[in-house]
Amino acid sequence: MLEVQEVTKTFALGAERVVALADVTLALGEGEVATVIGSNGAGKTTLLNVIAGVCRPDRGRVVLAGWDITRWPVHKRAHLIGRVFQDPLRGTAAGMTVLENLALASRKGRRGLWPLVHRHRRQSLYAAVAQLGMGLEKRLQEKVAHLSGGERQALTVLMATLTRPKLLLLDEHTAALDPANAEKVVRITEELVRENRITTIMVTHRMDQAIAVGERLVMMHKGRVVLDLGAGEKRRLQVEDLVALFRSLGVSDDALLLVRNGSGCKGDGDLGHLLASRQPTSTARP
Amino acid sequence: MLFLHAVEQGLIYGLMALGVYLSFRVLSFPDLSVDGTLPLGAAVAALLVLRGFSPYVALLGAFGAGLVAGAFTGALATRLRIPGLLAGVLTMIMLYSLNLRIMGRPNLSLLGRPSALLRLATTLAVPKGYEVLVTSGIFAGGALLLLLLFLFTELGGAMRAVGQNPDMVRTLGIAPENLVVLGLALANGLVALSGAFVAQYSGFADVGMGIGTIVAGLASVMIGELLLRPRGICTHLVAVMVGSVGYRLAISLALRYGATLGFTASDLRLLTALVVLGALAAPVIRAALRGEEA
Ligand SMILES: Nc1ncnc2c1ncn2[C@@H]1O[C@H](COP(=O)(O)OP(=O)(O)OP(=O)(O)O)[C@@H](O)[C@H]1O
Ligand SMILES: [Mg+2]
Repeated sequence: MLEVQEVTKTFALGAERVVALADVTLALGEGEVATVIGSNGAGKTTLLNVIAGVCRPDRGRVVLAGWDITRWPVHKRAHLIGRVFQDPLRGTAAGMTVLENLALASRKGRRGLWPLVHRHRRQSLYAAVAQLGMGLEKRLQEKVAHLSGGERQALTVLMATLTRPKLLLLDEHTAALDPANAEKVVRITEELVRENRITTIMVTHRMDQAIAVGERLVMMHKGRVVLDLGAGEKRRLQVEDLVALFRSLGVSDDALLLVRNGSGCKGDGDLGHLLASRQPTSTARP
Repeated sequence: MLFLHAVEQGLIYGLMALGVYLSFRVLSFPDLSVDGTLPLGAAVAALLVLRGFSPYVALLGAFGAGLVAGAFTGALATRLRIPGLLAGVLTMIMLYSLNLRIMGRPNLSLLGRPSALLRLATTLAVPKGYEVLVTSGIFAGGALLLLLLFLFTELGGAMRAVGQNPDMVRTLGIAPENLVVLGLALANGLVALSGAFVAQYSGFADVGMGIGTIVAGLASVMIGELLLRPRGICTHLVAVMVGSVGYRLAISLALRYGATLGFTASDLRLLTALVVLGALAAPVIRAALRGEEA
C-alpha cells in the first residue's frame, strides 16, 4: 500500500547540515498499522512530512496505492492521506460547529455550491460521531472551541478517517492529552482504523503504546530505521526491551554495539540480531 | 431627514462593511486595498453610465472590477508571498493611479444621469420620499442574503475554515491559497459594488472618495459586534449592517451637532479612527482594569 523507497532528506541550518532522513526504506501492506518510536530529532516527523508532501525528499520515492506521489502537492495527496497532529488545535476549525467540521471532512476536497451540511448527510455524520462514545452527537451545533482537548482530538481522528483514506498519519496525537483521554483516543483510533482497514503510521513516545497498538514496530534513530519488527516479533516484545535498546543507542551511535556489549536487554539475542542484520530489503514487506 | 439619509448611507456603505467583514473576520486577512476598490467601483460605474450603459450594467461592471482587484491582492499575498498588509497597500496605491486613468480626471459628475436605486424605485412604484431607503435596503438585503447562503455552502464553509486553520483546510485537500484569492475577490467585489452605489447616490465619483474606507468598514463591523454581540454567521452579517447604519448615524450626528462641541467636518477621520482604536484597545484595557495580563 505504502512504499517509502530510499528516502533522504537534509536540512541546511546555516552552514550546518542536518540529515533528518538517511536512506529510509519502509513498506506497509494494506490495513497494516505500524507504530514508530525514536528519540527527539530521530526524523519521525520529517518522515511523515515527506509522506504527506509537506517537504520534498532530496532523494527517493514515495509510492501510495500504486501512485508515485513524491511530487504531488499536499492538497492533492489529501484525498489519499489523513493526518492528525499532536496539537488538538491543529486539526479542527475552532469557530465552526462540530457538525460543520465533520461536514468539511466528509466533503474532503470538494468545494461546490451545495450546502455544507446537507440534510441527508446529517444522519450518517450523527451516527459516526455517536460511535465515538463521547456524547459529541448531542453537541453537534456547539463550536469546537468549547470541546476539551480529548474530545477535539477524538473528533480530529474521526475527521481524518471519515473518507476512508488509504493512509493515516498520526504524529504523537495523544501526547497533549491526560492519560485517561489518551487511552480513549487511542482506542477510538484503533477501532476506526480496523473498521475501515486504513494503513496507519502512528508516531509515539510511549513504549507501551508502541507495543500495544498495531502489528508493526519501527524504531528510528538519527534519520535511519534501526529496527523494524513484524507482528510475530512484536508480540514477544516487552517495554524493557525497547528501553534497553534506546539506552544502547544513546551510549553509542553505532547500533551494532548492542550486539557486542549485549547491554542487558531481555530477548537480547533476537533484537540484537535484528539490529545487526538489518538490510533495506529485509524491512520491505508486501 | 438626517435619520433617513444616515440609514440610506448605512445600507449602501453596508455592502462595503460586508466586504471588510469577509476579509478581516472570515479570512482573517487584513486587506487594505478597499481604500482603492471603493473608488474603483465608483469610477467604473460612473464611466459606464456616462457611456450610456444602464445603471444596472454599471453595477455589474463595478462588481467585476472589484473581483479582479481583490484577486490581484490575493495573488500578491499567496503566490508572491507578500505580507497581507503590504499586498493590500500596493493594490491600493496602484488603484489610485488606475482610477484616475479610468475616469480621465479626478472626478466625474453623474448629475441627471440614471441611478439604479431610483430606477428600481420607479419599477416598484415606491412611495415618494422613501425611494432610496427601500431600494438600498433591497440591494443591501439581497447581498447580505447571498453572502449568508454562500458562507453555508461547501465552498463558503471551507473559506471560513481557512481564516481559522489553513493547515486543516490543506489536510482536507483544498489549497487554502485559492480560497484566499477567491475570498478577497468577493470581498472587494462587494466594496466596489458599494462604491458604485455611492457614486450613483451622491451623483459623482471622486478619486479621493476612498480614503479612510477601511477604517469606516472596521468601525461598522465593530460597532455591530458591540451592539448585537453576534454568535453565529447570520447574526454577524446582520450586525455588520446594523453597525454600518449606526456608524453613519453617529457621523451625521457628529457633523450636525459637533460644531457646538468644537468639531468640524475635517475632524471626522480623526474621530472615526479613535472609535476603531477604542474598540481594538477595549479588551486590553478591560483586562488591565481587572489587573490581568492581556
Ligand atoms: N523544517 C526544518 N528545517 C530545519 N531542520 C529541520 C526541519 N524539520 C526537521 N528538522 C531537523 O531534522 C531532524 C529531525 O527532526 P524531526 O522533527 O523529524 O524529529 P522527530 O523524530 O519528529 O523528533 P521529536 O520526537 O522531537 O518530534 C532534527 O534535527 C530537526 O532539527
Ligand atoms: Mg516529531
